[in-house]
Amino acid sequence: MTEGLQITAASKYYDEGLNRIAALDRVSIKVEPGEFVAVVGPSGSGKSTFLSVAGALLKASEGEVILHGKDISKLSGKQLSDVRLHEIGFIMQASNLVPYLNVLDQLLVVKRMSGKVRAADKAMAIKLLEELGLGTKLKSYPEELSGGEKQRTAIARALINDPNVILADEPTASLDTKRAHEVASLIAHEVRTRHKAAIMVTHDERLLTYCDKIYRMEDGKLSLAELESIH
Amino acid sequence: MFLALKELRHSRTRFLMIAIIFVLISWLVFILSGLGNGLSTLAASTFKTMRADYVVFEQGSKASMSKSLLSNDLSAKLAEMPNVSAVSPMGTIMASAIKGSSKLNEDKVDIAIIGINPGSFLEPAIIEGTGLTSDQMTKVIVNETMKDEGFKLGDTFQLDGSTESLTIVGFVKNQTYNHVAAVFTPIEEWRKLAFAAPGSDKGVMDPVNAIMLQGKDIDRNTINEQLSGTDTVTRAAAVQGMPGYKEENGTIMMMLVFLLAISAFIIGVFFYVFTMQKSNQFGIMKAIGAKNGFLGKAVVSQVFVLSLSSIIVGILLTYGTAAIMPQSMPFMLDTKLVFTYSIVLLVISLLSSLVSVRTISKIDPLKALGRVE
Repeated sequence: MTEGLQITAASKYYDEGLNRIAALDRVSIKVEPGEFVAVVGPSGSGKSTFLSVAGALLKASEGEVILHGKDISKLSGKQLSDVRLHEIGFIMQASNLVPYLNVLDQLLVVKRMSGKVRAADKAMAIKLLEELGLGTKLKSYPEELSGGEKQRTAIARALINDPNVILADEPTASLDTKRAHEVASLIAHEVRTRHKAAIMVTHDERLLTYCDKIYRMEDGKLSLAELESIH
Repeated sequence: MFLALKELRHSRTRFLMIAIIFVLISWLVFILSGLGNGLSTLAASTFKTMRADYVVFEQGSKASMSKSLLSNDLSAKLAEMPNVSAVSPMGTIMASAIKGSSKLNEDKVDIAIIGINPGSFLEPAIIEGTGLTSDQMTKVIVNETMKDEGFKLGDTFQLDGSTESLTIVGFVKNQTYNHVAAVFTPIEEWRKLAFAAPGSDKGVMDPVNAIMLQGKDIDRNTINEQLSGTDTVTRAAAVQGMPGYKEENGTIMMMLVFLLAISAFIIGVFFYVFTMQKSNQFGIMKAIGAKNGFLGKAVVSQVFVLSLSSIIVGILLTYGTAAIMPQSMPFMLDTKLVFTYSIVLLVISLLSSLVSVRTISKIDPLKALGRVE
């Protein structure tokens, strides 16, 4: 069985008038559990499409997406929801928390999506939030949190269902340098200790030191970049 | 429920505003239904509470007492018809009662004189005094609302435009006809009053307005065929045939239907706009794995909680209003009716929320990524 995430020759086409645009052009990547991979590239290069395909939000036009041994390119919309709920943890840009839920409920709502919330789930959510330094903020609403705290809540939410894959979409976009480093190192730490396969899409090249591998996206093509060539 | 309640608690002002509108609407619905019920009771309670199942009118009378004239000779023939268990004639006229020989406006009271056979199944239950007797034709039983006009047991009152006077020997309750108090007299007395002018009975022997029948599953066609010149209808149809009854109820009904339609739109549009505003949020939740059903349920249960509590407040306000309403208002709350309209309001608001559920199912989770390439 393939652990982690494996994408083989995935393409995504969009029709734009008479032209056919390849947002993803035969992209292949393999991310092992415990590995933290970054994807960088200019805007419009296809990073978001790549993340959508990897995150079961978008079906690839061609190619295979294998997530923890399961090919998700043939699944129905409902099955994709389940994959997103149980197999993938999303960390999105800031301000993507539900505004009327407090920090603890942000995590519990994910549990609700798959059924009842048991006392064990609640205890686990509290433990997770404490580990991420949010122990005193359990009852706070998003509007009362700083940018860094919001992102830590988002990280906790991504981890609550113990997914195999973590996908981060510009997780440091609205943070200052200090906070950005904190958040990136926190993600890296969680990925390694919890043994997750993680991909971070970013254009913030200061954060690449936390990653094991760096891929560069350009015009829909993904290529492995040397760490040294960036620094 | 989880999301629904959390959000209700968090955005209290927003939901309170729509709840107030819904409370006002349901309040108005219940008040209108009470008024409609009160009016129709006032118009026809004598007919509605009557222990008769069918009414025989003259052919071509549109099931209306005032347009019908029959001979009581028919009673014997009707009694022999299949399934007919009892037969009794009835006559009505409108009149005015004058307290003593007063000339004051407030001492003239509109009444409906209803002629019946004393002791027949048409005679309502007495709540005070005694019943009608065949040998004392001017002794009458009247609706208790005449007490409010100052009439007492044993009072004798004059009839306007007549030399006849009647004496109250008993009171009955909930007996109104054509919006005024009913006065029951023996049918011979009624004949004397109704056909005071010579020839106004058109030469009919023992004239009556209609003949009431008791009995289950009476075949109306058989009676119509065998007794020419008659038209047999159910008691409900006779109530509908009362002058102005349909029009009155129709007006109230129209207002109720409009109100229900308006409430459907208000709730539907509010939640639709609200859903549109939150489409980004719904997109995020879909991205992290929420299914359409989970989010749809949240909206529907929110509408349910909001509507149910608004309706309950509306009911409380309605009963509060009823308590302080003047006695003379034709307002009558019927628990069954209040319950029915509550259910109707609830179902309508739930149905209108389905528009939002549909909108949610179309939201693309890709929105969560903030940009779609």
